Amino acid sequence: MNLSISYLAAVFNSTLRYMTPILLVSLCAGVCSKSRVFNIGLEGTLLTSAFFAFLVQYKFRNIYLSVGCAVLVAMCITFIIAFFIVKLNGHSMIVGMAVNTFAMGFTTFLLQVVFKTKGVVSDPTLQGLPKVDVSFLGSGTLATMFGNLTVLDYAAFLLAILMYVIMYKTVVGFRIRCIGINPDAAASLGIRVQRWQILATTLSGGFIGLAGCLLSLGSVTMFIQNISAARGYVALAANNLCQGHPLGALASSALFGFTTALAQILQNTALRQQLLNCIPYIATIAAMAIFNGIEARKAKK
Amino acid sequence: MIFELRNITKYYGDTLANDDISIHLNEGEILCVVGENGAGKSTIMKILYGLEQPTSGEILVKGQPVRFRNPSDAMAHGIGMVQQHFMLFESLTVAENIVFKREPRRGPLLDKKAMLAAVSELSERYKLKIDPSARIENCPVGLRQRVEILKILYQNAEIIVFDEPSAVLTPIEVEALLQTMKELAAAGKSIVLITHKLNEVMAVADRIYVMRSGKLVAERKKEETSTDELAYLMVGHHPATREIPPVKTGETLLATEELSLHKDGRDVLSKVSIHVDGGEVVGIAGVSGNGQSELESVINGLEAPTGGKVLLCGRDVTHESVHTRRELGMAHISEDRFLWGGAVSGTLSENAIMAKEEREPYNHKGFLRKKKITEYAGSLIERFSVKASGPDSLLGELSGGNAQKLVAAREIMMETPVLICCEPTRGIDIGASDFIHNEILNKREKGDAVLLISSELSEITTLSDRIYVMFEGKIVGEFNRGAVDEKALGLLMLGGKIDA
Amino acid sequence: MRKKKLQSFLTTLGQPMVSVTIALLLGAVIIGLSGENVFKAYGVMLKGAFGDGYYLSSTLSRATPIIMGGLAVCIAWRSGYEAMGGEGQMIFGALSAAIIAYYVPVAPFLRTVLAMLGACLAGAVYSVLSGWLYEKWRVTFIISTLMLNYIANYVASYLTIYKLKDPEALDINASQTGKIMEAARLPRIFKAYSLHWGFLIAVLCVVLVYILMNKTEFGYKSRMNGFNSRFALYGGINARKMLYMVMILSGVCAGFGGSLEVLGSKYRYIDQMIFNTGYAWSGMVAALLANFNPIGTLVASILLSGLATGGAALQRSTSIPVETVNMIEGVITILMSVKLLNLISVRYRHTRKKEGGEKQ
Repeated sequence: MNLSISYLAAVFNSTLRYMTPILLVSLCAGVCSKSRVFNIGLEGTLLTSAFFAFLVQYKFRNIYLSVGCAVLVAMCITFIIAFFIVKLNGHSMIVGMAVNTFAMGFTTFLLQVVFKTKGVVSDPTLQGLPKVDVSFLGSGTLATMFGNLTVLDYAAFLLAILMYVIMYKTVVGFRIRCIGINPDAAASLGIRVQRWQILATTLSGGFIGLAGCLLSLGSVTMFIQNISAARGYVALAANNLCQGHPLGALASSALFGFTTALAQILQNTALRQQLLNCIPYIATIAAMAIFNGIEARKAKK
Repeated sequence: MIFELRNITKYYGDTLANDDISIHLNEGEILCVVGENGAGKSTIMKILYGLEQPTSGEILVKGQPVRFRNPSDAMAHGIGMVQQHFMLFESLTVAENIVFKREPRRGPLLDKKAMLAAVSELSERYKLKIDPSARIENCPVGLRQRVEILKILYQNAEIIVFDEPSAVLTPIEVEALLQTMKELAAAGKSIVLITHKLNEVMAVADRIYVMRSGKLVAERKKEETSTDELAYLMVGHHPATREIPPVKTGETLLATEELSLHKDGRDVLSKVSIHVDGGEVVGIAGVSGNGQSELESVINGLEAPTGGKVLLCGRDVTHESVHTRRELGMAHISEDRFLWGGAVSGTLSENAIMAKEEREPYNHKGFLRKKKITEYAGSLIERFSVKASGPDSLLGELSGGNAQKLVAAREIMMETPVLICCEPTRGIDIGASDFIHNEILNKREKGDAVLLISSELSEITTLSDRIYVMFEGKIVGEFNRGAVDEKALGLLMLGGKIDA
Repeated sequence: MRKKKLQSFLTTLGQPMVSVTIALLLGAVIIGLSGENVFKAYGVMLKGAFGDGYYLSSTLSRATPIIMGGLAVCIAWRSGYEAMGGEGQMIFGALSAAIIAYYVPVAPFLRTVLAMLGACLAGAVYSVLSGWLYEKWRVTFIISTLMLNYIANYVASYLTIYKLKDPEALDINASQTGKIMEAARLPRIFKAYSLHWGFLIAVLCVVLVYILMNKTEFGYKSRMNGFNSRFALYGGINARKMLYMVMILSGVCAGFGGSLEVLGSKYRYIDQMIFNTGYAWSGMVAALLANFNPIGTLVASILLSGLATGGAALQRSTSIPVETVNMIEGVITILMSVKLLNLISVRYRHTRKKEGGEKQ
């Protein structure tokens, strides 16, 4: 019994660790969808910022600098996406895919140029994000549940709450939501809709930068080619499930965190790694099918 | 003089939309700008609200020349506009809609209490009753318009522009609106009313400008003029009165039996039974949103009813597809030409051949014969005098009226026994709409059945041999031609009762 | 009329040309920054892509699956379904072809045919799956197809590593299926070059898809559905049938492309062979460049394939990694997403109007 509790605690802990990057990315996706910018370049943005977080840390060994840089990079990319979609009226799917293709090439290219390697770089001397000390919880179940998490993991939860306040309680959030509901109506009152859309999405891009740091400087400090592994798309699905609500994103990203943790746990069973890797993707489709399918059937009645 | 447009000229490409227009507005007066669709009214309106810049000419506010680069600039000078298509945030509340852009705040937070208080105060001051916490999506059209007006008053507008405000309202709502305008003028606001409905003009206007094909053709004080004179000035000739000869009706070609539709938790259609016989035009009158569009889509097969039957040429087609219904003999001019009725990025040929793409001679064993199709499209263009450079131009390149003509041409030339027309002349000029009306009447003379659904009451009363009135998804009245006047119909449309 | 023709020429050809040029210029900057001679590098690339028979033939043979992936995108996107499942469909197509051609005990020629049919079926089934998820469960194509791509790749990995591993492999760690017997392969056109008949079959497919999309009733219906799905419904087109027809056809193209790659050039399924090469994505970029015109897709596929083989040549002789090509592809795509020339010409038209207006 004791064993199973500590086992569950470990599952809980890895769920938290897997969910936070998805949560942060879906916070950005939430702002994008609320302001009517359909951004599927999240994946490429995440990959690039994860790379830059690692690169800067490797070169300068300054965690603040690397987090700042990752955030900046993510914002820049999100700005480009928003600019192409909103200002130049580009097809949002194509813009997003272009960014993802580019990011894939760009990170691999830099990996080659800077680290002279393909695949994986790691440096054991490299410091990751500072971990939150939970020694006051002792060494029992609670410590297992909440231990080994970085500052940014905790920050992700706070940021979700903060985003809720911003989007639903402040004037700025009110306007962003209005713009998303009816951009023409907002424009008719003289709001510069495009400017708002670009600004809101660009700023929210910063969350992806934080998520990128979690990937390459979080529980492990290494960069692997294509380290984002479709988390950007999963976050898109998570955001779809919660309809862009920041608190809902907590729940939907927890779902995906849990399925990833599940795949991890089942590793030592009869199922092979390759099949386990499918679980989060299947869960994504299943969750969306159940949620949207029920919605659609309800609307019919 | 609070506001003035001086020698405004506006070109769109090579087309001249406004030719040297000069108008002025005095404080506290109600000024009307009348003209047909396409006379240049809406361009003038867009210029004075900063949505378009004039090619030449100046705008003066209180004697000072100004430039409006966008609606913000216009609003900063106290000009607000009630748009024809409401500009509201559907899923938000009335109060939230009104305060947008000048939100009461507490620090960075939205102050909801102050918001409700401000909105209630405003609504009382101008005697415009609303429920601040109701959601817009649950408000009827008249109420939405009231929200639009309050929104503009909240922005401290001195000049309020109304763009065809009565198009969506019932006669009784129109009366209330005109009363509101008078009260606003009495409270010192200056009002510009842009419309083509002359009886409304005569009811409220102090002064009237008449526009025709981009030019200002006359300025009149209300006392000096009459509807007849204004109509003459607008059109340039006296309107022809239409004689509609009686036609013998044949057997029932289209009927519904106790049609019901339950959607989003309410009955959008309840037990609707109508019939249309060969050789008659049957009109469905009603305020938009009372089930007409649902009736349309159930009859043409885009939506399945929850109960009842649709009969086409004597056959039960309730569970048949759109395709089968069209094959059996139904054509349909849709409510919205660009949303449903056509593909803007398709060529005129492609748009013209829809629903005939499976038929000889246009289709030979699955392959389309381009030549035949182009010929056919060309014949539609010619017969309905659609202004286009040819069958290969895109539908999106056409003006609204011409696109509507093409859609109407396609459906009328299907030569089916049943034609359903929904808002066949919405937003098009008198010439084009006369043309379409004539084609509808020709169809009737041939012995075909026409179902006409329109929110334009005058269209219904002129064309229909029989009229059904719809209210909240039910048929609440049935009249033969001439048995009832527009006022009584309007009352029924709002759920009132009349003595038969 | 002449003006119109010029304009349509500019939009169909000018836009891709401008995009490719800008992308190549950016590529030049990247090459320059990594310390190589730009002209020399592009020279190497050009030679490595189209320089002689050998290189040209490998470019064309590499283009084969890209063309088929591009056709799959043409069919789906023109009909208004923005599906990106080509990769997963191609993976299963390639795997099925490899299995059938290796295991099914019939005459070699029949094996080839069965392998192709099996690949088409696999692609179609996988594509219909995303169509079904969309129709019945409202899972958007973007999510379903991308997720299904990852799933396909993992499942194929699992199968090649654990279930269908090459029994004759010398290297115990090689994750690949057994090599198809020579008689069941698609023969090479010229003995010395890698170009195989699969390329010509793909060209034939381009012609067929072109006819299908532009000359037939189905093409008309799908195009109208893509322009305005409401209009199609209103005109009596059966949306459900349309969706599944389109999904089947596009899945068939992608799956078939996978089989051509297996039967004509790799002769087996190697783990990650479709995923790592990004054939399906290049196909999508090609289709975009060609504005979903099948013939244009053919040309664009060859160009993109040339970019990749040229990039590989570049990697061999300089320090520049082949992934530079991905970046160039990305830039081309993002530039193609906006109607560049329209932006320019709209601005031009505006100024012209204003001038014209004041004159009168």
